[in-house]
Amino acid sequence: MTDKIGIDSDREDHSYSFAGAGGVSGEDGIVKEQDQLLPIANVGRIMKQILPPNAKISKEAKETMQECVSEFISFVTGEASDKCHKEKRKTVNGDDICWALATLGFDNYAEQLKRYLHRYRDQEGERVNQNRAGNHEEKQETSNYRSELPRRSAVPSNPLKFNAIDRSSSLSRPF
Amino acid sequence: MRQAGTYSGILSGGISGRTGPHSLPLARIKKIMKKSGEDVKMISGEAPIVFSKACELFIKELTQRSWMVTMQGKRRTLNKEDVTSAVVATDIFDFLVNLVSEDSGNTVDATPLEMDTFTSSS
Repeated sequence: MTDKIGIDSDREDHSYSFAGAGGVSGEDGIVKEQDQLLPIANVGRIMKQILPPNAKISKEAKETMQECVSEFISFVTGEASDKCHKEKRKTVNGDDICWALATLGFDNYAEQLKRYLHRYRDQEGERVNQNRAGNHEEKQETSNYRSELPRRSAVPSNPLKFNAIDRSSSLSRPF
Repeated sequence: MRQAGTYSGILSGGISGRTGPHSLPLARIKKIMKKSGEDVKMISGEAPIVFSKACELFIKELTQRSWMVTMQGKRRTLNKEDVTSAVVATDIFDFLVNLVSEDSGNTVDATPLEMDTFTSSS
């Protein structure tokens, strides 16, 4: 990949650290903080989703939107990170993001996202427990099994369906 | 132990490199988050996922507001100035005012405009 100083070429996944190539057309070499952008194709697609079918979007408008989204991420992350810092926590989590959104005036986003986050956490909990059992091979049985029982403990209360190999000992093995 | 697959779209069985069920690339979101400040050291796996949705909502809202400006100008192409106007007219987008005015090279009056009074496209 050759350097493309000063040329506002495709703003996909370049991670330059100088202006002009980072998607902002500043020619004086000032390093912009948000030189990381989300892909223009993805951004454009989302924009199209809520516009009428005959609407057109200029390339510049998509580029501006890219920059606005990056700024949005930085802005919200900064707020979330401050909170973590104050509470002496090292990791910014999903709840912190929801909190930051509500604090910064994006209440309606925060509400939707809390629900989204809880759904995701439920899914993840199921997936982790599936992995813990070490039952990668027997995907079919496991998926049926998984939905019926709360797999929070290492040893399930019901015997496993597949008895060909004694799996019960593997369940108590730490992950 | 790190769970595999959060960013490779394993939730939908997608291959790595794809964004899986999310419409925005999680690894890129994470990079942008890390750049936002010195304090940001550790980010949980779920944070970029939450942001992926939040960014969708953000893009949609800003696009809708921009489109209102486009329509007022009786045009069908949403252009950069429409986005600028939408930013200026919306309180919660105040953090973007400097960004959009720097890009255009013009100084933008940071006083929020009433959408009704916007009559010309540029």
